[in-house]
Amino acid sequence: MLTELWHDLRYRVRALFRRADLDRELDLEIDAHLEREAAVYERQGMTSDAARRQARLAFGALQDVKERSRDARGTALVESLVQDVRYGSRMLVRHPLFTLTAALSLAVCIGANTTVFTLVNRLLLREPPGVVEPHRLVDIAPTDGSRFREPFVHATLLDGLRRHVTLLESVYGHTLEVQPLSVRADDGAEIVFGAVVTTNYFSALGVRPAIGRLFTTNDREQPGESPIAVLSHAAWLRRFDGDPSVLGRTLDINGQAITIVGVASEPFRGTSVALADIWLPASMASTVRPTGPWPLAAGGRLRGGVTIAQAAAEVQSIAAEIQNALPGGPVMAAPGIRDRRADGLGVVAASPLPPVVRGLVAGLLTLLMGMVSLVLAIACANVAGVLLARGTARRREIAVRLAIGAGRRRLSRQLLTETLLLFALGGAAGVVLARVMTTVIVRVLPPLPVPIDTSLPLDWRVLLFTAGLSLLAAVSCGLVPALQSSRADVVSTLKSDGPGVSDRGRLRHTFLVVQVAVSVVLVVAAGLFVGATRRAAGTDTGFDPHGVEAAALDLSLAGYADASGAAVVQDLVARVQTLPNVASASAALLLPRGGQSRLCCGVTVQGAAPADGEGRFHPSWNSVEPGFFGTLRIPLLAGRDFTGADRARTEPVVIVSEAGARSFWPGEDAIGKHVLWHTDPAPGSGYAGGPGLVGPNPNDAPRDPIQLTVVGVVGDMRTGSSQPPALLYVPFQQRYQARVSVVARSRDGGRLARDIRAIVADIDPRLPVVSSSSLADVVSPVLLQLRLAAVVSATAGFIGMVLAAIGVYGVTTHTVARRTREIGIRIAMGAQRADVVGLVLRQGMALVLVGGAVGLVLAAIAGRLLANRLFGIPPIAPLTFAAAAALFAVVGMVACYVPVRRAARISPVDALRHE
Amino acid sequence: MADNDRLDLPQGTLDLLILKALSLESMHGWAISERIRQVSREAVQVPQGSLYPALHRLERRGWISATWGISDNNRQAKYYALTRLGRKHLVAETAQWARLTTAVGFVLDMS
Repeated sequence: MLTELWHDLRYRVRALFRRADLDRELDLEIDAHLEREAAVYERQGMTSDAARRQARLAFGALQDVKERSRDARGTALVESLVQDVRYGSRMLVRHPLFTLTAALSLAVCIGANTTVFTLVNRLLLREPPGVVEPHRLVDIAPTDGSRFREPFVHATLLDGLRRHVTLLESVYGHTLEVQPLSVRADDGAEIVFGAVVTTNYFSALGVRPAIGRLFTTNDREQPGESPIAVLSHAAWLRRFDGDPSVLGRTLDINGQAITIVGVASEPFRGTSVALADIWLPASMASTVRPTGPWPLAAGGRLRGGVTIAQAAAEVQSIAAEIQNALPGGPVMAAPGIRDRRADGLGVVAASPLPPVVRGLVAGLLTLLMGMVSLVLAIACANVAGVLLARGTARRREIAVRLAIGAGRRRLSRQLLTETLLLFALGGAAGVVLARVMTTVIVRVLPPLPVPIDTSLPLDWRVLLFTAGLSLLAAVSCGLVPALQSSRADVVSTLKSDGPGVSDRGRLRHTFLVVQVAVSVVLVVAAGLFVGATRRAAGTDTGFDPHGVEAAALDLSLAGYADASGAAVVQDLVARVQTLPNVASASAALLLPRGGQSRLCCGVTVQGAAPADGEGRFHPSWNSVEPGFFGTLRIPLLAGRDFTGADRARTEPVVIVSEAGARSFWPGEDAIGKHVLWHTDPAPGSGYAGGPGLVGPNPNDAPRDPIQLTVVGVVGDMRTGSSQPPALLYVPFQQRYQARVSVVARSRDGGRLARDIRAIVADIDPRLPVVSSSSLADVVSPVLLQLRLAAVVSATAGFIGMVLAAIGVYGVTTHTVARRTREIGIRIAMGAQRADVVGLVLRQGMALVLVGGAVGLVLAAIAGRLLANRLFGIPPIAPLTFAAAAALFAVVGMVACYVPVRRAARISPVDALRHE
Repeated sequence: MADNDRLDLPQGTLDLLILKALSLESMHGWAISERIRQVSREAVQVPQGSLYPALHRLERRGWISATWGISDNNRQAKYYALTRLGRKHLVAETAQWARLTTAVGFVLDMS
């Protein structure tokens, strides 16, 4: 049996390489056979011609026998594939214009799909490098049972999980963001970005050290007891030139002596998209950065054979037990970002994004993916249409080949191979294009204050996706034309060369209608998104970001505390103000679009209660220096701005936003009213104390509520289309924060980063500027999403429209060519040019009309779906729809222009000679 | 013998007939079909279209081998010969065929 197999294989391989020889031998063999057979008939008394014919008849279809003999050699599949590829490439080269345009349009569309998928892969699918068995990792986060609500898990819960969980090998905590830390050296300070992790983090992930050791559970977890750190491989190379003597070296990090115990192996950069330079144990968080927010997100590793659902059930029951034992009632999230809606912990497969934003990002990416797939569908319909048309043109050739005995299946396979080649070409070019597009995406990302892993790797998943997509597209749009073409009716085709009315024409029209419809949808979507972006980014943001420089500082990095820090900020603002190019300057805890802070404990206002029935309002708040509103051009509607007189020991004052004033004192003058600022948790609110994300100084012991007097009302900040939030502004000098941004408006709109840096360095060389950016470049996440959607849909819509126009042009041209004779006769019979123009135009525009109508209906449905999301898109946008309809009417006309003109110029004499 | 009296070959028997025909001497394609026709007293007409694919298949399996030689009419011809492997298969399949026909005969004789 084995010898047989071996013989078989050897034969096949030899047959493959000696194909030409074997074919010649077969020809000789069959010739000899026929000769002998003919000789027999001749002996029976036939003439030599008749005998030869008889021999051929007895033998059967010559080509068929040869083909089957070749098949029997067992190399047919490879051979015919090679043949098909060769034939296909010949056909593609012979029609360079078609090949080039088709491959190019496919490349653009496949490239767009690949690009979006690269994002999907990076943000939702890719496993962190340098981690063992990443498929067993999970994220744990507060949930309300259906959705994740918060990224961070309360320390008590995390502790309890680590102790009691059995279905997870380990549960670890880690920060999602990296925080700037100041490493002090003789020549000033350098910023490194640090993450905080529990001591079992590295062992749970299976990360290995490059040198030294990583944290272990032997490292003590009591606050301040483990002054050690692990460096990332990249930071080790960059900062210490890969010098192994770094082990055991003690660094001054934020004024604390921290010893480097190891360097993580090269690929590992943490588990989120933020890139850490250095990892600190959770026990050191509050020591290194007393004011810093270090809320931890939780993750874990499933035991082998345990499903996520099983682990989730256990985590949930442990969480419930711990909460019920807590004196203050249930807590879920880290404090300060207390979310009433979260009432349990959920478990989900780990990904680079925290579970709470994953849904949002997945939604956006789905939207983008949908749009780029639609463009690809258009491109496919276009190519399919052209293939059909070429099938018609090659009808005769195909019929001839069928007549001389070529198999229909073989023919379809050949035609399909040609299409596959075309798509392979498009796919390969698409991958190259996708590389370019991803680079561009990374370039246009808004500047980020912390290092984020923006690498968009082209890994096996992306390549597989692109290959699969190209194949799917090729088969779905090549199969029908291939089958259609090979179904040619030999006799009728060969007999007459007249225009066969066929399904093929109808099919091509269907393709065109689909094309137009889909591109209408895309154009309408583009209109909606551009409109929403414009609204979101328009003048109605409540402030003017243009020409404003914002430099972020962290005073705790240089060891300042309340009083000294506040003085430094005051000094800094004063000196920035004296710069010749600065119109005005100020400072603030938060910048517009830079996130928001909720109060831990809320405020109460006499005579007003929140609509949600809770005891306290939870407005966002900001701490600002005088001149903030003027610098950002936020209108002061009533009262006054803060002044230098609003200092630490003067009367506590507050400025409220218009929306705040309206909700606290509807219809009344807010000036002189009071707001009670609570620093203790409301009864039953579940707030258990501890450091907040961003909030009143966490080291403040709970104390009596502070009464703030309203001195001013300012305009609202608007983000996107949502209702402007109630905002409280307090004087920076009365509520110091270590993290602060200096803002300055330049006179000429230019950047001021260098000047501000120089002043900061002059005031204190140890104080680093964490980041500096032009406020106009800082884009809110909502706006960023909208912009992305607008750019993608506009590009998609444009490409789709051009492709649809090419499709209309192609079909109309084809029609004119086919009906030249008929048109000639009509003209000869006295038809007017106008009649001819009408005839051709009517047909072309009818398709556009049908496609457009279908497209508008689909777009209305899509618009309704989009309107349900947070993008601020109106469900009905008549103007956008009307504009899209008009646009396509014009595009249709333009596409028909050339063929119509050709039809109108047909000379009857030429036309009748045409055949 | 009229055409419609000729037997259609059951699936797979052509291979066996070819092997049998080659068991006495090596032959070229046409001669094989002639031999089968003569020996079967014209009862079996080898479908010529199937002969060559079958020969290639058998050669691939290593049951027969092919060499070019000079034929009786002084022309180049491809001669097929039974290999050792082919002979083994011929014996085995002949026995199997006999068993099958006997068995089928029994069934058909049953009344």
